[in-house]
Amino acid sequence: EKDGSTASKSTTEVASKSREDTAETPKQKLLDLIGNMKVEVSYRKKLQELKTREIKKQATNKLEGPDSEGSTLQQATEDTQRGRPLNPELVEAASAVASSLPLNKKQTESELLAQLRRHEETTDKQKKGGTINLRNVISEMAVKRQSPAQRGVRISSRLSLDLDEDGRRIRSERLSPQSFDSRRSLKVGRRLNIFTKASTETENTLKTVSSPTIWDLEFAKEIGAITAQPPRNGFEEMIQWTKEGILWEFPIDNEAGMEDDAEFHEHIFLEKHLEDFPKQGPIRHFMELVICGLSKNPYLSVKQKIEHIEWFQKYFEEKKELLKEI
Amino acid sequence: PCPEQARSYYVDWRMLRDVKRRKLAYEYADERLRINAIRKNTILPKELQEVADKEIADLPRDSCAVRIRNRCVLTSRPRGVKRRWRLSRIVFRHFADHAQMSGIQRAMW
Repeated sequence: EKDGSTASKSTTEVASKSREDTAETPKQKLLDLIGNMKVEVSYRKKLQELKTREIKKQATNKLEGPDSEGSTLQQATEDTQRGRPLNPELVEAASAVASSLPLNKKQTESELLAQLRRHEETTDKQKKGGTINLRNVISEMAVKRQSPAQRGVRISSRLSLDLDEDGRRIRSERLSPQSFDSRRSLKVGRRLNIFTKASTETENTLKTVSSPTIWDLEFAKEIGAITAQPPRNGFEEMIQWTKEGILWEFPIDNEAGMEDDAEFHEHIFLEKHLEDFPKQGPIRHFMELVICGLSKNPYLSVKQKIEHIEWFQKYFEEKKELLKEI
Repeated sequence: PCPEQARSYYVDWRMLRDVKRRKLAYEYADERLRINAIRKNTILPKELQEVADKEIADLPRDSCAVRIRNRCVLTSRPRGVKRRWRLSRIVFRHFADHAQMSGIQRAMW
């Protein structure tokens, strides 16, 4: 039971504490704590930042001319906002923490400074004067807490003493997301980034059956019919209707079902679809009028407009002989 | 054991024919629009327009939008139908008096 209590206490502390720095002064200890926390958090946030930046870059690559300029301007303004002068003490503290850790100092320092800048921004927005940065940092950290039910489960599982060679509990189906509570588990500790994540998606796609047989479909229908009980009250009826599509989703979204990913220039500049038409003559004149009308039409999607033009193309091709007589 | 009326048939045959006309009109709407665009034209040669005339006459008669009649949904009454509620005046009055029309009140001024 004592082991269980100590283990649970360790989990109630900040989850990222894994280093065993033998710092003597309490201030050093605190700084180390902060440094560890910040490094752990900032790594994840850095990943997120990278992802968002990649998405932004992809978005800018997809957009053409005027749109990309606007987005780059936005990014430039964001960057300039972050370049606010920080408190020099904080900068010194960040450099001290970075130097204390046996890692890439410049990287950690830059990450810490980025974290500090973000904190500065949030505090300016909330206009809280006089709070120590430490409090902000700790309040931002999400402390992992155990519910008493989970604690009871863990204690009971520990009593069974089913140990692997690694010291992990065998009943790991429920506990695998919380495997940090055992003494020596594989998931505690900083990521070393030695191995890349194995792609499990390809395996899953290969396992899908090529064509579901009729018996499978019938079986699925039977299961669906049995599990779909009649609605007990009006709310469940409304839920069912919304799923079927009889009832709209509230608050009503006027653009529901209308995706329209096309840009404005695809709607307006439709001349490229006119390549197959003769360049002189009344047909060209007629089609140019058609295109003029389509470009002003906000109700049709780009596909519908292209279909419209293609219909005319087919029609005039069929009547080619007739036209040649004229 | 259903508290409201459950309809499984259309009220009468005229309503059924109206339903058929609506379906066909929806299917042929684009084609009719395009052929009419060729017909009502001063640029294209007249022979083309005559051909288009024949084509549109060949389409099924029930596919034209003008043949649809906005009947009452509950009684199939062809006249006295308010468009917003798709109901004839008699049915509308019946429901409004029983307070089954949302937001409808007897006028008094």
